[in-house]
Amino acid sequence: MRSNLHRLAALLHLLSTAALWVAGVGLVAMTAATAWQVFGRYVLNSSPSWTEPVSLILMGWFIFLGAAAGVREDTHLGFDVLVTVVPAKVAVAMRFLSDLAVIVFGAGMAYFGALLAAGTWSATIPVLRLPGTVEYVSIVLGGVLIALFGLEKLVRRLAGMAPAHVPVDEARAEEAVWNS
Amino acid sequence: MELLILFGTFVLLLLIGTPVAFCLGVASFATAFYLGMPPLIVFQRLSSGVSSFALMAIPFFIYAGDLMVRGGIAARLVRLAGSIVGHLRGGLGQVNIAASTLFGGISGSAVADASAIGGLMIPQMKERGYDVDYAVNVTVTSAVIALLIPPSHNMIIYSISAGGTISIADLFTAGIVPGLMLAAALMLAAWFVARQRGYPVEPFPGLAMIARLAVAAIPGILLIAIIFGGVRSGVFTASESSCIAIVYALAVTVFVYRSMSWSDFVAATLGAVRTTAMVLLVIGCAAAFGWLLAYLRVPAAMIAFMKTISENPVVILLLINVLLLFLGTFMDMSPLIVITTPIFLPVVTAYGMDPVHFGAVLILNLGIGLCTPPVGSVLFVGCAVAKIPIAQAVRTIWPFYLSSVVVLLLVTYIPELSLWLPRLFH
Repeated sequence: MRSNLHRLAALLHLLSTAALWVAGVGLVAMTAATAWQVFGRYVLNSSPSWTEPVSLILMGWFIFLGAAAGVREDTHLGFDVLVTVVPAKVAVAMRFLSDLAVIVFGAGMAYFGALLAAGTWSATIPVLRLPGTVEYVSIVLGGVLIALFGLEKLVRRLAGMAPAHVPVDEARAEEAVWNS
Repeated sequence: MELLILFGTFVLLLLIGTPVAFCLGVASFATAFYLGMPPLIVFQRLSSGVSSFALMAIPFFIYAGDLMVRGGIAARLVRLAGSIVGHLRGGLGQVNIAASTLFGGISGSAVADASAIGGLMIPQMKERGYDVDYAVNVTVTSAVIALLIPPSHNMIIYSISAGGTISIADLFTAGIVPGLMLAAALMLAAWFVARQRGYPVEPFPGLAMIARLAVAAIPGILLIAIIFGGVRSGVFTASESSCIAIVYALAVTVFVYRSMSWSDFVAATLGAVRTTAMVLLVIGCAAAFGWLLAYLRVPAAMIAFMKTISENPVVILLLINVLLLFLGTFMDMSPLIVITTPIFLPVVTAYGMDPVHFGAVLILNLGIGLCTPPVGSVLFVGCAVAKIPIAQAVRTIWPFYLSSVVVLLLVTYIPELSLWLPRLFH
């Protein structure tokens, strides 16, 4: 039982690392597309029309997958002063509820995102001539991963396992950059 | 009742430590459910909230800043600042503030500023006999300057939270005078404290040395001109200019300074993903939350409520400032911008305030909040770099808080400080 849990944890670790890397590739691709847009406008004298919609789709991947990896690495910022000062038992209940909220929202993203994706199959994204569904794939995938990683946190707490923190002591300062 | 569910769920989840994005998301989800709306709408708002081209500037600017710190552009700006103001009373304290101002021109992040400048300056200051608390105080409070000097991705977050109608070029320009004022006020505070404690000055290195360091720093200074000039003149959009900043930073650090390794590049990229994916999720969830706020007519109710307190804009602005400072002591900046903008912006415009002016006030106010306990990410980073407890840093930080608050009041009550420069460009 315990070793199965560990095997599962290793798999989830792989998934979250993959999500982070895909998001990173998305960021680099977004940069390249936007740079190409400026280059096209000023150097080639013709603004490419595909760069904006493509960047936007890439940004969806970048945000939702990056945020999912953030759930597992526990880098999302929140107000965590109260949790550290209340009695241990209350803190356990608070963390439990908080994980539950993350799972519910992730599941909502996946389920309703899938409905949105299904509903836009016949719509067409202008310029790219792709079905509207493409826009919602990232939210569905991100939602699935968020719910999965949230569930993992909950199970780890219940099973008394250590949290899945990636050793990111050194990265901590960078992670706070977002909010400044 | 709907409002109770919306705000009640949000506050409850926030208090139990749920990440802000999910507090906003679940509160919106629950409210839509209660109102009998299809919950689909919440996720549609979330999805459309993050598909805006203007939003791209946020990850781009943070990414560019990360590359510049790792590639040594920041370090060269610090050396230049050192040669120019090092001979003033409080020497390295003044250098720290001037460096933050220059760094603010290439990055809009106060946390990046505190870790980059603090990482370079705090050890030097310790070595030269400055007290550690002084080094931290100066590092932390001057990091706020980076928020005001363009580029400032927080100004972009504000513009987006306000519905995207406020010109980013104007907001960027509006931050310059308040940013320089804050720098001057902090330098004054640093001077006073340095005189009391008898800190040393650095020898004046001579104009030749300054010129040499300026040449080494040219790529960084050029970038300041490219970003601001490009956005201001309309040659690039803010998103495009931030993208150029990345390409430029890569080109300089790889080909000119030759200081960027593959592993540095990967670390900067994944670091930017980690830090910005979360804030963008907060913004997306806030889009759903804000949509419900408007649907429930909260801004209108807020204006009516404020009118019952006072008709006098001076009183209302003071009230809003105090409230924001209070919220800022225990919440982070970008969630506060996205939550409070749709509520307070209609109020202040009803009292005749210019949205660009309010942007400068909001950013400065919440910036001070980043330096105040119990939750202040800039303060945390400064203390972490110096390895001292927060209580030790805060005990002597008062002169610097005082300077910042005086500047905040001046910026609040003298609209010209933020509006004069943008008007010059029109």
